[in-house]
Amino acid sequence: MSAVLPRHRVNILTGTKSARLIEEAAECAGYIKKAKRPLLVVGPLLLGSSPDGKLLMDYAIDLAKAASIPICATAQTRGKLVEMGVQPDCVYDAVEIVNALKDPDWKGVKKEGNHDLVMFFGIRSDLGSQGLSTLKHFAPHLKTMTLCKHYFPHASYSLTNFRKDAKWQEFLESLIEELKKGD
Amino acid sequence: MAVAEKKLSRKLEELHKRIRADLPWEPVGPTPMPDIPDLRSWDMRLLKTYKPFYAPFCDLCCLCTYGKCDLTGGKRGACGIDIATQQARMVLMACLMGCSAHAAHGAHILEVLIEKHGPDKKIDLGESITIEAPHIRTVIGLKPETLGDLQIAIDYVFKEVGHLLDSCHTGQEGSALDYESKALHAGMLDHVGMEAADIAQIVGFGYPTSVADTPLVDMGWGAIDKSKPTILVSGHNPATSTELIDYLREHKLEDAVEVAGVCCTALETTRYSDRAKIVGPLSRQLFFMRAGIADVIMTDEQCIRTDTPQEAAKTGAAVIACLDKAMYGLEDATEMVTDDIVKRMVDNGEQFAILDSKKAAEVAVKVAIELAPKRRKEWLTEPEAVELAKKCNACGMCEQVCPNLLCIGDGITEMAKGDFAPIRKLFNECLGCGKCEQECPRDVAIFKLMQVAAGNETWKARSGRGPIMDTEIRTVGAPITLGTIPGVIAIVGCSNFPDMDDIADMVDEFAKRKYIVVLSGCSAMVAGMKKDADGKTVYEKYSPVFEAGGVVNVGSCVANSHITGAAIKIANIFAALPLRGNYEVMADYVLNRVGAVGVAWGAYSQKAASIGTGCNRLGIPVVLGPHASKYRRLYLSRKEEDDWSVMDARKKEIVDTGEPSPEHLAYVCETKEKAMPMIAKLCIRKNDTPQGRAIKLNHYISLHRKYIGGGLPEDLHLFVRRDADIPLVYKKEVRAHLQEIGWQPREPVGLPTYIGTYPSKIAIDSVIH
Repeated sequence: MSAVLPRHRVNILTGTKSARLIEEAAECAGYIKKAKRPLLVVGPLLLGSSPDGKLLMDYAIDLAKAASIPICATAQTRGKLVEMGVQPDCVYDAVEIVNALKDPDWKGVKKEGNHDLVMFFGIRSDLGSQGLSTLKHFAPHLKTMTLCKHYFPHASYSLTNFRKDAKWQEFLESLIEELKKGD
Repeated sequence: MAVAEKKLSRKLEELHKRIRADLPWEPVGPTPMPDIPDLRSWDMRLLKTYKPFYAPFCDLCCLCTYGKCDLTGGKRGACGIDIATQQARMVLMACLMGCSAHAAHGAHILEVLIEKHGPDKKIDLGESITIEAPHIRTVIGLKPETLGDLQIAIDYVFKEVGHLLDSCHTGQEGSALDYESKALHAGMLDHVGMEAADIAQIVGFGYPTSVADTPLVDMGWGAIDKSKPTILVSGHNPATSTELIDYLREHKLEDAVEVAGVCCTALETTRYSDRAKIVGPLSRQLFFMRAGIADVIMTDEQCIRTDTPQEAAKTGAAVIACLDKAMYGLEDATEMVTDDIVKRMVDNGEQFAILDSKKAAEVAVKVAIELAPKRRKEWLTEPEAVELAKKCNACGMCEQVCPNLLCIGDGITEMAKGDFAPIRKLFNECLGCGKCEQECPRDVAIFKLMQVAAGNETWKARSGRGPIMDTEIRTVGAPITLGTIPGVIAIVGCSNFPDMDDIADMVDEFAKRKYIVVLSGCSAMVAGMKKDADGKTVYEKYSPVFEAGGVVNVGSCVANSHITGAAIKIANIFAALPLRGNYEVMADYVLNRVGAVGVAWGAYSQKAASIGTGCNRLGIPVVLGPHASKYRRLYLSRKEEDDWSVMDARKKEIVDTGEPSPEHLAYVCETKEKAMPMIAKLCIRKNDTPQGRAIKLNHYISLHRKYIGGGLPEDLHLFVRRDADIPLVYKKEVRAHLQEIGWQPREPVGLPTYIGTYPSKIAIDSVIH
């Protein structure tokens, strides 16, 4: 990202409200712990396996368990979660959960009020990016985070572009460990 | 005041003259040739339940010299516009581009055909079609009898497009909802323009009509005899390709020259000659050009690559631009002597625009015959491909620029090891844009490599058949509105699919469940590009009749109007509701009683935006693929929180049904697996009989189980009104579930309608047939 903005932004470069890049698991865990009502939205990309054979959905489940975060299942992830012994806290498709989240009066998954942090994990990048754009523009009451292996500028917090899956998995494992530590 | 009334009266008088209001085929309804505000209250009623959902594709507005304006964080632009209204404005502009593309296609075709046949050429769509133009009758209030009458429809569309485009100018409309109403207006106009275009083509070119069993035509580049001179026709407008076929017929050259089409011109051409070949959808265009099989490429309009001249030059193919919409900066040779053009094209490799279809056709054939023997049409062999693939160092740049997020490099590196399976799969998912090859730092010839993977497989597609017959509507009208035919699934449009196989899978899934499946455009081709275990495509496997379990190809993009037209025909022919200038009643009927769903799984274009938005105004929900979130706007409800009240027209009472049917009007699904049960769910209508509802829920549950898993659908209880709605096969399980969550039965609504729930000039009795 360029650190220098042109003086006359109106003619050249405007509208670059981009995600804060998270490089440390501890920082990431800090944002999650700080949230009062976080939500984890899981997508179908988590149905794939990593090279070491571990199902990506395992990371999502471990993460949700570590910080007692409710899970929203999108697309066909519900079936897999149930098969893995986890009943999702709610079932919406990606655009439906974004549509609900942008309403500040929505009661949220636990009926305790809308969430203050939503983490997206495993949604295709075109759809995910557009959903994050919706929330960036229309949900000022909400912080967004992505846990996928690429940078998503429309999020409030995003991981970096991981060149190697192993590094990303390492990050996720560290994040889970950080969350297990508690406050 | 008196002056205003006088003006209104004169306007109405003029309008009645144009639509020949005195002809008593039906009384003229409340909104013939509606202006922008005339259906606004209907739109606002739709938008109350199906609120616009915006996903800005860009944070800025860059349309005027006040800007760029940053619209993030609640900021307004220099003109005062906010981010939501800007999105709605962009959507309207997209719809206007789409609508204009079809209407201009219609205007051009009409000009050509009126020149050929005269304006009084009768519209005759055969003995099985009496409601020849349901959209024109409904929207315009005119029963078109001649080609000249279609011009009235096109003129109306252009007048409205002008008004709508005017509203996009900086510093005008300030309401996102009003922009949405205008987009819905543009969408409705689009279906009028498409209908005029396709009726003109059917009448003027003698396309099949009043017949279901149209010929099966060859598809795939393996079907093309590469030893013959080959002409590729590309785009959407058949004015030139029909002349090309005529020229070949007149000169007895049909056996000597291959004619192949890509995108909708392929469908149009095979409606004219079943000897023409379909290369495939838009996603195959660049592949085919780079394969060098075509000796001559003739472009017309829409969905043709803007770099066609450059790509053709790479393989030594000739190019003729045949329509003024895309002239590529080429010299206009329309007035030049034919033999001179041929000589310059063959000897010098020059490319020309030729806007006279007859001349373009003659030049194309002559050039193809002369050029073909001089060109090499050799493909890479597999061992050569393996060698070339070794250049790839898996840097991943191709993935970064792929609109379908594909990691092409993975396929190439496997190919370098001799395994062609991964690249074959990628080829099926590839949109054919060419960005990967452009980006590759090592200049790997990705397209050439994919050609090897693609192979020479051939398939069958049924050629387009135009409108659904009145006789078919009479047969299926009752079961559709009662719900015993569980739905009409229209799988339409472009080829920006997450995976091409999805289309054939969807067709097969719903046809075998006895839905009626209707296809158009690139989806109609792709549906045929997968074979079952017996080697059959869906066109060979299922009936071509508009009936339960039928798979019907209506034709190209403009034939989409016949799908929505069929929904109007159900209201008019089956339910006997008058359609003339009566759009609101038609749309209300379709929304509440016709279980039709559009699936634009690969939508990419502005035309798809306008077609889909036109479906929405008519009350037909549309399911889109994941990338379609880039259209910026969906129409979504929130099922447990929105108002699902309707008027029971028989009792004249507003009833809070609590039933979200249909749940959304424009919806994006991330995966085929999610789309399958969603499509089934969106077919549910409040009008369903218990038997019909049970059938629909049976499919919803079973598709949910098959593709999602994890038990019953979480929102099932919202769609069960009484015990009789529960499908027999799931009775025990569903009853237990409903009891557990405290479900209470409720009475179905006798005659559900929105009329009477919002300010409208329409009387409630208007919806009672």
